[in-house]
Amino acid sequence: MKLIIDGKAFNAYPGDSILDVARREGIAIPTLCYHEAFGGQGSCRLCTVEVTAGGRSRLVASCTYPVSEGIEVKTSTPAVEKIRRNIIMVLYKRASGSVLMQKLYREYGCSENSLGEKQEERCIVCRLCVLACEKMGTSAISTVMRGIDKRVGTPYDQAATACIGCAACAHICPTGAIEVLDSGNIRTIWNKNFNLINCERCGQPFATREEIDYVSRRSGIEDAELCFCEECRRKKLVGKMQGFSPC
Amino acid sequence: MGSQSEMEKIIVVQPEKCTGCRTCELVCSFTHTGEFNPARSRISVFTFEKVGFSSPVLCQQCSTAACMQVCPVGAVSRDNKTGAMVVNSSRCLVCKACTIACPLGATFYDHVSDSILKCDLCGGDPECVKFCPSGAITYQEAGEAGLARRKAVAAKLKDVYEEVS
Ligand code: SF4
Ligand code: SF4
Ligand code: FES
Repeated sequence: MKLIIDGKAFNAYPGDSILDVARREGIAIPTLCYHEAFGGQGSCRLCTVEVTAGGRSRLVASCTYPVSEGIEVKTSTPAVEKIRRNIIMVLYKRASGSVLMQKLYREYGCSENSLGEKQEERCIVCRLCVLACEKMGTSAISTVMRGIDKRVGTPYDQAATACIGCAACAHICPTGAIEVLDSGNIRTIWNKNFNLINCERCGQPFATREEIDYVSRRSGIEDAELCFCEECRRKKLVGKMQGFSPC
Repeated sequence: MGSQSEMEKIIVVQPEKCTGCRTCELVCSFTHTGEFNPARSRISVFTFEKVGFSSPVLCQQCSTAACMQVCPVGAVSRDNKTGAMVVNSSRCLVCKACTIACPLGATFYDHVSDSILKCDLCGGDPECVKFCPSGAITYQEAGEAGLARRKAVAAKLKDVYEEVS
């Protein structure tokens, strides 16, 4: 399949979205709710591009729009830029506390004085954290409420039984909206406190009991074998090579 | 998954030759991160002063790799060209499951880049091998000798754990 992006011809595979092709070819299209592990969600619309097919032009979300033979794509037109700017303005209003949104707000030249009502807020409800948690198989968080009150949370904002404290949600969040705190032997995330397990050899806290159980379930490795930090696992191996115990 | 192909090469460590100079750590971190920082090296050297013994430890590119088994998003896969287990960082969720699972402690989280690091065989031309002044790390075809050596390491590792439990 062939398509044209910004005047140049490219090949696409069946099932490719416009964004898939652009990323492969090194053509920059801005995104917020896209992640390679899940594909496009089509929800933030920052990836909007102009597509001409059969003589008709439309503005579409490139992360979900499937490529078809002969379409022509423009990644930056006045209409596209205007939409992107509007999106940034709205999201900035909602999440003025996020460094990323502040940066985009400046980059897109959003001049209007539209300081958000929620100046501390950082979440733009892109749902990447929810998808990450789903992929983990834990599904501890979801979007709650509707409309402008929509946000991410655990059931009834209580410590979620399903949460293992892996912090994948916090890592994937593009706006740094999820707090994870390791303090001594305690990790706190989503209103839940986890006791960190100490390495059997050096005593350093390194993972939650729930993370170790998770890995044990998926790998078949016994829990007891997983209770060493990375460094001590390496050391033990070296000691063993020489036939003595480094402990 | 995939089995070891004929031409595939593996890194073989000979601890008896290691002098504990840590050149490999510096070369590795410099090659991958542009800085001389052993904490960011994918190969680590341990020295046991009392018995005068040193050895590097690094990913063995296991046939059945725990890192790949536990990854929930298929971000860890075997590179068909080199046979190395590689992490696709744009797919990775940084859940760190792989870092807990690796029995060698050879897959780890790097705070600086906020990503998972492990040996990728430098794409088929490992720098540590080139710079080791004592020939303790070699890159050789995964023939009988190489695979036997890897099995021996795996067996020893099993002992380590059995001793513990
Ligand atoms: S820390 Fe808890 S809520 Fe976040 S991804 Fe992990 S299991 Fe899900
Ligand atoms: S940290 Fe990344 S590569 Fe490792 S298991 Fe999690 S998602 Fe997979
Ligand atoms: S990246 Fe395409 S809609 Fe968000």
